[in-house]
Amino acid sequence: MKPLRILIVDDHALVREGLRRLLATFPDVTAVGTAADGREAIEAARRTRPDVILLDVAMPHLDGLSAIAPLRETAPEAAILVLSMHDESAYEEAARDRGACGLLSKAASPEALHRAILDASAGRTLPVTAPLTPRERKVLSYLASEASDETIARALGIRPRTVEKHCQRMMKALEIRTRAGLVSYARRCRRPPLS
Amino acid sequence: MTEMAPIRVVLADDHTLVRRGIVAILASPSIDVAGEAEDGRSLLCVVRRTRPDIALIDLSMPLLNGIEATRRILRISPETRVIIVSMHADRDAMRRAKRAGARGYVLKDAAPERLLEAVRAVARGEESFPVDLAPTETDTGTEQVLTSREREVLQLIVEGKRNKEIAEIMTRSVHTIRNHRARIMRKLGVRSATGLVPAAERLGIVRPASGMEVR
Repeated sequence: MKPLRILIVDDHALVREGLRRLLATFPDVTAVGTAADGREAIEAARRTRPDVILLDVAMPHLDGLSAIAPLRETAPEAAILVLSMHDESAYEEAARDRGACGLLSKAASPEALHRAILDASAGRTLPVTAPLTPRERKVLSYLASEASDETIARALGIRPRTVEKHCQRMMKALEIRTRAGLVSYARRCRRPPLS
Repeated sequence: MTEMAPIRVVLADDHTLVRRGIVAILASPSIDVAGEAEDGRSLLCVVRRTRPDIALIDLSMPLLNGIEATRRILRISPETRVIIVSMHADRDAMRRAKRAGARGYVLKDAAPERLLEAVRAVARGEESFPVDLAPTETDTGTEQVLTSREREVLQLIVEGKRNKEIAEIMTRSVHTIRNHRARIMRKLGVRSATGLVPAAERLGIVRPASGMEVR
């Protein structure tokens, strides 16, 4: 079986080169190109026709999420695997909606990356990383803006006690044990405005 | 002609894929990767154990960030020279790295050759800092309001650790940690722990999400 052809898209040269060398240690995958932003990625996908595209989510010019649709159009046979920092699972739903196979954290091991690449190319959807309900995500976005429980309750038309319950549920699901930790998580998950 | 001994390097970055990639970039007969760490506290253990020539550390590691880790490393292992490797291209972070005693600062969007050059230069006793970084809006004025110990506690609070866990991590009593917490909140004019989160970001103790960066 021919090795899987992988396109690496990340705006940091050290990360691109590092990923390229990591992939070189697996005999069944091979890096066929790299790109530093979404625009270059579309060009590179057209040129190299990869099987899997590793796509960093936070890049200048054309960020990862916005690049998914044009990439699907340019290279419809390529499976797209979005790479993110921790806790950008806020992006996950948006990424999948736009046609990505899934999201993998940069904190994952090289072996996990390898497995995710094989799964993506075989059309196996990756497990969802952090299952929060839409209501919980809404509460989370208010927490990120330093809103008090009372403010959130008023904004959503629910009781402060209910806000508290949502927070407790999220903390359990995310394995976070303090409110400060939850606020940190909320702020790290905040999506930047799409260009 | 005598062979130069390989430069002994340890690496710390919580993004395992990035860290392993850098290990692969460093692979060469002249460099020996003596250890790796995923967070600032285990980094200190690795440094104590290996006494490396160079520690390549990420700016924003969990448990103990790169700046505070630099200070501690220089006390634990004064022969070790620190190079910060970061995606944050801001002058303020670089200045703080220098003040903490780092000998180099390499950006993650720099070419791999730049990293290797920095490692060799610092191993020779030189410094390696980029000259063209943009100024930032972080609030450096109030950085010195908190002591080094208070900054360490603040990072752990904001990372969601409870007092008991912070006490264990820092090998102090819970009573001491509670005192630190109260002093930090008083100094920063904040009335609840959740209010500490944006303050910690402004002070550069933790970084906000990549989308919120000035860069």
